[in-house]
Amino acid sequence: MATVLEAEGIVRQFAGAQAVAGVDLAIRAGESLALVGPNGAGKTTLLRMLAGPAQPDAGSIRRPAAGVGWAPQSAAVYPRLTVRENLALFTAMEGVADTPSRVEELISLAALDAYANQRAETLSTGTLQRLNLSVALCNRPAVLLLDEPTATLSPEQRRRIWAWIRTLRDDEQLAVAFSTQSLTEAAREADRILVLAEGATVFEGRVEALADLAGGDPEAAYLGLVGSAE
Amino acid sequence: MRGAWLIARKDLVVLLKRSPGTLLALVGYPLLVAVLVGLALEGSERTPRLALVNEDTSTRTVLVGSERLSADDYADRLGESVDVADLSRTDAASALEDGRVSAVLTIPAGFVADLQSGGARPPRLELATSRRDPLAAEAIERRVESALFGVNQSLSTDYVSQVRRLVRILIDGGQVQVFGEGGKALGLTATRQTVADTQQALRAIGQDPLADSLDPLGRFVDQTTRNLELAGQVAESIGAPIELEVTSRQEQREPLSAFGLAAALTLALGLAAALLAAGALASERDDGTLPRLIRGPVSPLALAAAKMLVAAALAALVALIALVLVALFTDIAVDRWHLWPLAVGLAGLSFGGVGALIGALARDGRSALLITLMVGLPLVFLGIVPLEGRVETALQTVGVAPVFDAFQTLLIEPTIPERFWWTLGVIAVSSLALWLLSGLSIHRRVRA
Repeated sequence: MATVLEAEGIVRQFAGAQAVAGVDLAIRAGESLALVGPNGAGKTTLLRMLAGPAQPDAGSIRRPAAGVGWAPQSAAVYPRLTVRENLALFTAMEGVADTPSRVEELISLAALDAYANQRAETLSTGTLQRLNLSVALCNRPAVLLLDEPTATLSPEQRRRIWAWIRTLRDDEQLAVAFSTQSLTEAAREADRILVLAEGATVFEGRVEALADLAGGDPEAAYLGLVGSAE
Repeated sequence: MRGAWLIARKDLVVLLKRSPGTLLALVGYPLLVAVLVGLALEGSERTPRLALVNEDTSTRTVLVGSERLSADDYADRLGESVDVADLSRTDAASALEDGRVSAVLTIPAGFVADLQSGGARPPRLELATSRRDPLAAEAIERRVESALFGVNQSLSTDYVSQVRRLVRILIDGGQVQVFGEGGKALGLTATRQTVADTQQALRAIGQDPLADSLDPLGRFVDQTTRNLELAGQVAESIGAPIELEVTSRQEQREPLSAFGLAAALTLALGLAAALLAAGALASERDDGTLPRLIRGPVSPLALAAAKMLVAAALAALVALIALVLVALFTDIAVDRWHLWPLAVGLAGLSFGGVGALIGALARDGRSALLITLMVGLPLVFLGIVPLEGRVETALQTVGVAPVFDAFQTLLIEPTIPERFWWTLGVIAVSSLALWLLSGLSIHRRVRA
């Protein structure tokens, strides 16, 4: 599979402290990559730089021509607009041709039909997160970047969100990179894991390889890698 | 600019259809403040109310100029400048106490008699003002002083005229009638002639030494005559040492009312536009949509432009409606309707720029609105107060003083001066600068 998003030597500092310290990564189409690490490891900053709002102090990022979809941890939508109005606005702003049909497509894809005319501020957390993800998908991106997409969801809501993300990845060959603090979630949903500690990559590979570092126990291996930071 | 248009349309939908309460607060509050400022300024223009206690019931009159005045006439003259209510001493004191009048003017018994005494007993008026309403009291004091000045000047002119007439009689002789006293006077000219005739008669009968002894008397009469001629001129110049010539401008509009309207309009438009822009921009951060927009669909400059345009359009619309209401329901002349949209539109952009800048710098929506009020109110008031030097220059950079100036020009000036277009240019340039600064601030905020 072709690499769709590539970053080399990304560095970002905040007030003299290194939030991201020379991270390299590459994501291929149809692949999912989990960014795992404790709080303050640099996951959100790295995703923000990959998505575009933040700029790296050093390093380079190569994004696909089709664009990058980004869903921040808190739903970035307009609470007083309806689901349909939010999707129509962001789809129009992305310059997508035939906005109305793309909006209906997204509503159907995210199973938001029942909520299409409801204001975003009235939606449950899980439904709001589906809207948040739908907005990230409105320009048919080649890569989907998700910042802790299920952090605030119930187990059932989590299950439904991951099922949908897997469908997107498998059916549309979407590359997915997501951050999480749950190694279990990362092991279940990702093809590869990138472990960050204090802004630096301390492990990158399949979860089996991580487990091999600690005699088949990925949890122990993870704690061994990030122990002091955690 | 497609993104800017879409965001502007979204903001209009959110404000007009989904958040009418917020819109009402953001526009209603500045309008309310503006109305209060306008009423306060109009109040200072209102004729103050004065209680008059006339205790001189003598019905005596005094000759002032060519007409006779009684105490009542004197009171009527004061009534031309202030709203006078005739009351008894007790009622006037009570009215002053409970604030129904701002001052009490008492004409004491014997006032006209004192006036007739020719200065022997200087006439006095008593003015008691309210501590409760110091502004109105001060206005009354000024107006009563002004009215007294006018009446006193008439009296002074009359005194001088009578003094000159007396001098003339002293020189030429005739019937004396001054301040009620009458009699026949010989006059210095006739006296001088009598002295000369007597000397001539004495010399004719050979009494030259006796005739010569009258020479000092003749010289005294000549000298006195010359001095009295001079005294008449001096008295006239003392009576009216300086004359004030008052000329009204042609097509004069109501300057103080227009000043109040321009101030109220600047305040309402300024606060409404700044609050709307600051709130709209800061809400993007509160909703978490700012990074999502800036990463691609909408540039920081386009976002700042969208917020400024929406704020300017709504605030200008409110200002124009307020102007129409003023034109329909007050005596203030509002015209030049072809220039007002341009002026309020540019002013709205400028104030919207201030709001957008604050919205870009503030941490969240509530901080943005609070800072806008804290910065906006004093800024607008400083712009309305006439200032010179560095402070005014600083104010001009954010467009407050030029906006007030442009509104005043439209309301007051009989013809639009070239300076008006220059002022609009300054407002446009300051809007442009604020737009660039806002865009830069959004960029720095999001990219950080």
